[in-house]
Amino acid sequence: MGDLFRALVNLVSILTIPLMILVFLSWGFAKKVKVYEVFVEGAKDGFSTAVRIIPYLVAMLFGIAIFRASGAMEVLTSVLAPVTNLIGMPAETLPMALLRPLSGSGSLGLMTELMKTHGPDSFIGVLVSTMYGSSETTFYVLAVYFGSVNIKNTRHAVPAGLIADLFGMLGAVFICRILFNV
Amino acid sequence: MLNYIWISLIVIGILAAIGNDIKDETSNTYRNGVPLEATFEVQAVPSGSASTWKGEVVIPKERFNEFYGVKTVEVDVRQPVAINVGPLNEGTFLLSVSDATPSRWKEMAKSASSKDKLTGKIQKIIFAEDKKSARVQLVFEPIRFVKIKAVTQAALDYANTAVEISIGLIGIMALWLGIMKIAEEAGLIRVLTRMLTPLTRMLFPDVPPDHPAVGAMIMNMAANMLGLNNAATPMGLKAMEELNKISPKAGTATNAMVTFLTINTGGLVLIPATAIAVRAAAGSVNPGIIIGTSIFGAGCATVFGVVAARLLQRLPKYKRELTAESPAQQEVSHG
Repeated sequence: MGDLFRALVNLVSILTIPLMILVFLSWGFAKKVKVYEVFVEGAKDGFSTAVRIIPYLVAMLFGIAIFRASGAMEVLTSVLAPVTNLIGMPAETLPMALLRPLSGSGSLGLMTELMKTHGPDSFIGVLVSTMYGSSETTFYVLAVYFGSVNIKNTRHAVPAGLIADLFGMLGAVFICRILFNV
Repeated sequence: MLNYIWISLIVIGILAAIGNDIKDETSNTYRNGVPLEATFEVQAVPSGSASTWKGEVVIPKERFNEFYGVKTVEVDVRQPVAINVGPLNEGTFLLSVSDATPSRWKEMAKSASSKDKLTGKIQKIIFAEDKKSARVQLVFEPIRFVKIKAVTQAALDYANTAVEISIGLIGIMALWLGIMKIAEEAGLIRVLTRMLTPLTRMLFPDVPPDHPAVGAMIMNMAANMLGLNNAATPMGLKAMEELNKISPKAGTATNAMVTFLTINTGGLVLIPATAIAVRAAAGSVNPGIIIGTSIFGAGCATVFGVVAARLLQRLPKYKRELTAESPAQQEVSHG
């Protein structure tokens, strides 16, 4: 059942982009859209959008980089460890929960490392990989998406994003404990 | 909120770095100036006018762990080294750092300017009779301000990384924006939007159901679920651009934008491909076992995130930010 689902989703993922290009372009052509001209017209914005993101992403990534390089994460981990023990979350996986919203490459590295030390099929291994799959890099998404339209006042986006992350991590711990904990 | 988090990351980061460095200095974490007893196994003797011995330093794991006060090293340390011996049985050494190097030495090498090498003085070298090995006392170059240096380096590196990431988006952005423009002119996005109106009206009540933003958001969410990141980001940014057009106040996030972003940060993916690939590479018997759990976790994140966004937008503080036009904000909107 699981394998079938996986094969199906894989198939759809592989086919989506080429089919979408085919359908969109031929539909447009059938509707007498000047496909080439319109494509170029739209594509023009690619450059300006990407360039507009730069200052936002520099601000975000440099702040996160300082925090990560300083060793502050270890301090925070030791402070929060008693709380996570209460909900049955192994202390080793706490840095993952803290790092996931901040850094995609950082949490990927951490997941790989934890799996190497504890084994991918151990409880910790299953839990960290679930945690990795249970959220996106919130601050990166915020910087890129808001940056692209020059939005500086993000209003409640940060608290809402962090609440999403928190429940993603709690959900991961909950489901893994029910299904895999011995 | 972002202001507070951003300044906290930076201030806490720098203060923690200073604190850690003071701690390292007082407890002499890197054993500056303390000789480390090791065995030198000779592989190449100096030839001609050169006075460089090549070989390996060998340190029993117990001694290494005790010397640095760690428990992490599980095999005896063996590292390639080049030694220059002076006339008085002293000299200098140059130790090459590789993947197998203990993490403490890696840290030290990273902090030293040479990156993949560790250097220092040899206080004493006593060769065995056959000149095949020697007892040496190594004193490493003093290592100081590790974290502060790392913080500075990280800040500069990541400023560059940010630019690289942004520039790297240009190509796929152009491609998808071009395709989306065709779909828009052909009326295709309107068709797609109409099919999902009940869902989008519920999620984004502020956005007219046939607005182009809705189509872009739907396509972004679909691409995200299929794990097509290269397509999802351009569509998401297109959606943001459309949402921005109907924003009452430039430079400020609207309710629809925040809800849309929360869905994106929830990161619901049908197949968490990266995590599965890492699991497979680590030798898992069942790498795909996390598909269900990840969908559950990301589902929790998305549902609770959206509920939180919808509740938070009612707070007077956030309501005011969207309507009140302060002088500072006015400048932004004209800029």
